Amino acid sequence: MNAQDENRIKQLLKQTLPPVADGAEPERDLWPAVLRRLDADPPRHAVPWFDWALISGLALFAISFPATIPVFLYYM
Amino acid sequence: MNNHPYLRAYLAGVFIPTLIFPVLITLLLVSELVAPEPIPVERIMIFPLAFAPVAWGLWNVFWVALRKFSNVPLGLHGAILPLLLMPMGTVLAKCLGIITLGAHSVTWFQAVEIPYWQIGCSFAFGLVMYYLVWKYIIGFVNRVLGIA
Repeated sequence: MNAQDENRIKQLLKQTLPPVADGAEPERDLWPAVLRRLDADPPRHAVPWFDWALISGLALFAISFPATIPVFLYYM
Repeated sequence: MNNHPYLRAYLAGVFIPTLIFPVLITLLLVSELVAPEPIPVERIMIFPLAFAPVAWGLWNVFWVALRKFSNVPLGLHGAILPLLLMPMGTVLAKCLGIITLGAHSVTWFQAVEIPYWQIGCSFAFGLVMYYLVWKYIIGFVNRVLGIA
């Protein structure tokens, strides 16, 4: 690569990349937001449909046979 | 929060039985007021007060210890517990005279009559209940206490 090529590449890069203003910074400090996200609770997993089905079945059983409730409580 | 994980696991395990116990006692005391025959509340209290909380606590400790060797889901681990607790509780109940075995049904607490066919269903639903309670409630307490 000779000097002429280097100049040509410099010129092309300058044309492609817009100049950055002196002292340009984001409008606000983004680091606290990053820290907040890191400290935030992990995402809660949704209850799968089969667990909802089991909960419904359990509720239906308890409603159908309420006499079994004290027996269930005895074993807990 | 990395100290004493087994102690925290035990405390997380006894969370549910210690919540359930006052509910059961309240139900029994209210039932005693309206039941035609006296309900043996003192004898009924032995299993939920002395055995169930210890079993739940130790079962959660066992799960924490087991995690070093295998990754058993907490819900599945909890669903195995009634296979140990239910026979134990039933034998104790029989010894203490809390249940009476009849030809077609079992009488619990001298007040609640449950047919045999319903006991089979109840056992299956007991497993389901344990699975859900362990997966969601004990799992939540474990996370809060920094175990899981």
